[in-house]
Amino acid sequence: MTETEVREKLRQFILADLIKDPKYALTDDEGVVSGGLIDSFALAEIGVFAEQEFNVYIPDPDLTVAKMNTLNLMTARIMRDIK
Amino acid sequence: MDLAQIAVMLAAAALYLMILPARWRGWALMIGSVVAIYWLQPSLAIRWLDYALPTAILAITMLGWYFTLPQDVKPMRADIAAFTVTILIVLTLSLTRYIDVPLQLTTRPPPLETVAAALAALLLGGVLLRRFLPPKALLWLAMIGLIVLFGVVKTPALAQEAARLLRLNAGQDSTLAAGSELAWLGFSYVAFRLIQTIRDRQSGILPALSLSEYLTFIVFAPAFTAGPIARAENFTESFRALPGMTGRDAQRITVGLSRIAAGMFKKFVIADSLAAFSLSPVLAEQAQTTGSLWVMLYAYGFRLFFDFSGYTDIAIGLGILFGILLPENFDRPYLKNNITTFWQSWHKSLSDWVRFYVYSPLSRSMLRRKPKPSNYVIIFISTAATMVVIGLWHEVAIPFLIWGVWHAGGLFTHKVWSDKTRAWYRGLTAGRKRIWTAAGVLITLQFVMLGWVWFAMPTVNQALAVFAGLFGLNLGGAP
Repeated sequence: MTETEVREKLRQFILADLIKDPKYALTDDEGVVSGGLIDSFALAEIGVFAEQEFNVYIPDPDLTVAKMNTLNLMTARIMRDIK
Repeated sequence: MDLAQIAVMLAAAALYLMILPARWRGWALMIGSVVAIYWLQPSLAIRWLDYALPTAILAITMLGWYFTLPQDVKPMRADIAAFTVTILIVLTLSLTRYIDVPLQLTTRPPPLETVAAALAALLLGGVLLRRFLPPKALLWLAMIGLIVLFGVVKTPALAQEAARLLRLNAGQDSTLAAGSELAWLGFSYVAFRLIQTIRDRQSGILPALSLSEYLTFIVFAPAFTAGPIARAENFTESFRALPGMTGRDAQRITVGLSRIAAGMFKKFVIADSLAAFSLSPVLAEQAQTTGSLWVMLYAYGFRLFFDFSGYTDIAIGLGILFGILLPENFDRPYLKNNITTFWQSWHKSLSDWVRFYVYSPLSRSMLRRKPKPSNYVIIFISTAATMVVIGLWHEVAIPFLIWGVWHAGGLFTHKVWSDKTRAWYRGLTAGRKRIWTAAGVLITLQFVMLGWVWFAMPTVNQALAVFAGLFGLNLGGAP
């Protein structure tokens, strides 16, 4: 799976399932947690989504605002371990 | 840490920075911390115990390192050297049984042969476990063992029973046993750091650590008594940079000393002044008016903050002097406008710990279930479990349990409220947002302060009597 595909799947998941506003124009480097769009529980949901969609396990200490605040950060973290 | 202990650590930091060759800094921190945990441990009534408890911490820490070492990695020469040095320190300290030394590191230790036999049995047991148990089972066994030990130390009835058995073993009067005799300095933090390394090894994110790095990470003297709980990868980064650090770096020394000075002012001036009229069972009994009880409650809440954040400032400041960057633990928690951000800014290293090792894994395990429970059910269960762990971490007692549930209730209510009002809030004008923020700060502060009643009062009845007094009711008890 390419980086673009991972990013777009993540974007769709965040918009449809977490923010619940598919029309929201989420940019790649927008702080989704720091900007108040999602909370720390949503990070756990992103962790499970990464397991089920990309077969990548992100350890809990990596599911932090500092490491997962933007689409770019999430994509890079998933691409690191994707097979 | 008291003033004398801070003074000794400052003197040690001065020697460390000014005289010690840079390449020995890592060793100095390890050896200094190993000796310091004996020195910091208060003396105890049970014979040998104030020597045995720090020794047990060193033994289980070395086993923690050995158990978390990847199976294909063998101990290096430096690890064997660190092990030998640590054992030599432990055995040398036991010799103070036979000689009077001016330094009060520990009260009369057991005979050398007893110490050697106990250490040999414990370490040999560890070696055999690693040899014969599958790696996964070994890590789980280590974690369960730590949790059980933690439970015994933190549950008054179990601690009393342990004290009774220890008194019997020491040939002392077992009828005098009390749970408070098991005052094991630093154990809460040591246990959580050890569990952290085990869990990180299971997740594959624990960095490769030498024994001296691991041991110093677990028992680093400035953070030994009350944290903060660093992450191994961050601690090691500082530790490995020690030989390259400039000793006489005026800027770093100024930053470290100012931090220590600020911490001492908070802890010994502000917190200690507030202690005189902070809520306590005795003062609550004497309170004549509702207003005085409120003053006591707020004094208690602010004393707790200034004492703990002052202590953390001292620990971080000492860390800066020694070249170890410890994590921040407080970020103006009483000025937060909701309970969620309060918990992101109060005792941050502990809240991060429970988020990583309780909240997140529990939430994820429920999110994976098919059919998946509703998000609110998952959040409710995970939040409750997390806050109960934080509560019971202080002591396994009903008031701490209720305090945990109190905060879980607050966090869950805030989650539901913020989900329902997020869109509405985003549409507010800046002026309206400021009003809501101010209201949020006041409500959060009041909620947190009322929660401290459970913290300050040792029994549920005493806490309920204080609540009654705070709201102008008299339920018949104190106040």
